[in-house]
Amino acid sequence: MQSFFFIAFPYIALILAVGVGLYRYFYHRFSYSSLSSQLLEKRQLFWGSVSWHYGITLILIAHLLPWIFPGMTAAILGNHTRLAVLEITGIALGLYCVFGIVTLIARRLPNNSAARAVTSPMDWILLLVLTYQVLSGVGIALFDRWGAAWYLRTAVPWLRSLARLHPDAGTVTGLPVFIQSHFISGFVVILLFPFTRLVHVFAIPLEYLWRPYQVVIWNRDPRPPQVPALPKTAAPPSPVPLEPSEQERRQLLTRLGILVGGISAAIVGIPSFAFLLGLRKAPEVWRTLGAVDSFPVGQTMEVSFLDSSPLPWSGVTAKTAAWLRREGPQQFVAFSINCTHLGCPVRWLPNADLFMCPCHGGVFYKDGTVASGPPPKPLVTYPVRLRSGMVEILTSPLPITTV
Amino acid sequence: MRVLKQIWRWFDEITGFSKSLGPVLNHPVPRARKTRWFYVLGSATLAAFLIQVVTGIALSSAYVTGSGQAYDSLRFITSAPIGRIIRGTHYFGASAMIILIGLHTIRVYLMGAYKYPRQMNWLTGAGLLLFTLLMAFTGQLLRWDQIGFWTAVVAAEQAGRAPVIGNWLGHFILAGNTAGGATLSRFFAAHVFFIPALIFLFLAVHLYLVVFNGISEPPKAGRPVDPRTYRRWYHALLEHEGIPFWPQAAWRDLLFGTLVIVAVFVLALVVGPPEIGKPPDPTIVSASPRPDWYFMWYFSVLSLIPKWSERWVIILGPLFFGLFLILVPLLGGRGERSPLRRPWSILIVAFVIVVIARYWAVGIRAPWSPRLEAPPLPPMVVGVTSGPIADGAQVFYDKGCEYCHTVSGYGGIRGPDLSDAGDRMSAAQIATRIFSGAENMPSYRGELTAEQLNSLLAFLASRHRVQLPKPPVLHTGSQQTAKR
Repeated sequence: MQSFFFIAFPYIALILAVGVGLYRYFYHRFSYSSLSSQLLEKRQLFWGSVSWHYGITLILIAHLLPWIFPGMTAAILGNHTRLAVLEITGIALGLYCVFGIVTLIARRLPNNSAARAVTSPMDWILLLVLTYQVLSGVGIALFDRWGAAWYLRTAVPWLRSLARLHPDAGTVTGLPVFIQSHFISGFVVILLFPFTRLVHVFAIPLEYLWRPYQVVIWNRDPRPPQVPALPKTAAPPSPVPLEPSEQERRQLLTRLGILVGGISAAIVGIPSFAFLLGLRKAPEVWRTLGAVDSFPVGQTMEVSFLDSSPLPWSGVTAKTAAWLRREGPQQFVAFSINCTHLGCPVRWLPNADLFMCPCHGGVFYKDGTVASGPPPKPLVTYPVRLRSGMVEILTSPLPITTV
Repeated sequence: MRVLKQIWRWFDEITGFSKSLGPVLNHPVPRARKTRWFYVLGSATLAAFLIQVVTGIALSSAYVTGSGQAYDSLRFITSAPIGRIIRGTHYFGASAMIILIGLHTIRVYLMGAYKYPRQMNWLTGAGLLLFTLLMAFTGQLLRWDQIGFWTAVVAAEQAGRAPVIGNWLGHFILAGNTAGGATLSRFFAAHVFFIPALIFLFLAVHLYLVVFNGISEPPKAGRPVDPRTYRRWYHALLEHEGIPFWPQAAWRDLLFGTLVIVAVFVLALVVGPPEIGKPPDPTIVSASPRPDWYFMWYFSVLSLIPKWSERWVIILGPLFFGLFLILVPLLGGRGERSPLRRPWSILIVAFVIVVIARYWAVGIRAPWSPRLEAPPLPPMVVGVTSGPIADGAQVFYDKGCEYCHTVSGYGGIRGPDLSDAGDRMSAAQIATRIFSGAENMPSYRGELTAEQLNSLLAFLASRHRVQLPKPPVLHTGSQQTAKR
């Protein structure tokens, strides 16, 4: 049952959405209509529609970004403040959507009202599903908190596995039924696309963003261009007007061409780009540095070890260096050699007990804290442990100072 | 000869080249008169770019894109016959391209040639400027010696200052957790395929626009650009006094471009390519990464700005530069073109040149870098060979004071010159400073024994201004006359 809901059903919904959508676009283009009700009722429409559309657009973007850029999202969420701010924003936007859709439903409800007369059964179904979707979303945000974070570990792997055509619902099958119902009804919404007024999503009027909001006589450029008079030439022969059907055909072919070109570019470009992004994961491993007794107490020595992902062609660059300091019989601390300013290798001055950076003159004390100069943070330390008389270090990523 | 002509005629007949491309070559351009030699900078940049393409292809045929082998393959290239010259040509070609594209940008900006209808000429040119800088940066890195290696790290660190996604972006640039096997391949792909492809693309559009919009006529004060009439006026100008680009204007481009190529080649021959430093071994910590000359000024900027502003400058500086380039033609697309009526443009160019030149000069000295290779003070400077003063000189060296402070010409210049410290400060003042440290000086509290401190103070107290023998005072009549 789970595999039907989380593997078969999403694909069915998508195939129907795309297939029926294309079919209707090409063969029954004018069978869609969302009967306009703006003339029948305006006040509630304004409040409902504006709240709903702004809210749901932002929420959809927030749902999409994590599964396109999971690594980046994880980086953004890796901080309590940012996570809390995102959660609160999400709940606020969700409530904003709920307010919007409830208003939109309310204006269609009154018996004998004009707005109700133009509401089709499909409209009611859509409104109901959407209402469930936003209510369950807000419910999840309130009762299963920190969804922004666990979404990354549950729904995102599942959705990505669907996109890669290697469906694996393992990360979502164990979730509470209430959360699962949100996922399923999400795909119901997708399924409804070609059957309801939802198709309007694909006709986003982007040019509204830059056209003047009204073109009327008083905001046109009043001055006609001042051009010197030209000798009159014969007007070029006007082209024979095309028949409407032919015009429409050409327009259709143009759009189809752009669509096909876009798909081709995506097929080639997305995997290439994803390949570039993927080349950075490597597990951290423990590397042996040497016997405990080979490091005198109180001294700082340079140690080198293989990094976590040496490649056959890495040569000398497979190595990483660190400054290892033995503070007591059992206490070791390992500093990254990278200055926290811009990453240059710091040098240990044993007589002065200082680390000094040759690039911009940053200086650190022997415990890694900043002594002077531009570094904003103390030297980064690597985890060190002792195992059967040997010192081991955890190969960590190159420390990058972030703001 | 006749056979060649016949072949050309046959070729031209079936390709139509002289019909389609002939008019492009012969298109009329305005007479430039006094400023005509300013118009060769763009084509000279193109000439430098072509040097880079040809020598770059030659270099790539022997360069090994492996983090472990690139260094040795570059040594092999340098030792191969002519390899040294090819590398030198690529290096000086890059320098020429940077200088020429800079001059070209300044010329176009000062002459207001970015105004209607040539805004897109400017924007594609701005893209080309950006790509050229990226090529310079990635090219220095591909030398993959110690400096090249640390350049990759410094690039990742700078990207790390981007808000929120910094850490991710930095590791994306390194193509891994650390700078290693995958890093060089990524920069190689950028330097050899990705950025050049963009350059070719932008160059094609740039050249097409130069022909489509026509080359700008020399500006004249009091003759503003009005988009509604400009094209018509420009065509009338061309009909009135235009000259065919080929060959009446193009010969200057050819001559100057050839001079550039010859100069680059001679420099490559005489000076040779930049030296390959130590191998890119991350465990050799005695490294002093320095950028090539084109980014030397930026190196100083990052060293000299106040510490609190750095996180902003690293990200916002390049952003504002890009934004400026984009906004110039969009906001100033009409009106006066002559620099005489645009005094701000002169001021901006002068400001940029002065700032870059100044920071560049400072960057060469790098006064903020400690001189870690400074030798101990010689006895001649110390003055004695035993006793507290000599011990103090040893402490001065051992504790790293000398890396930042000069004494009689020895040591670094990060901190104040201490050659005459004994004249300027009392022992108590010196001791206070040693203990308290400063913004750019570590505190030595707990680091010096009483004995060491006393000998160090004795040494510093013994530093006096060199007493030059007083010139003999002459009482002559002429001096007294001068006094009156």
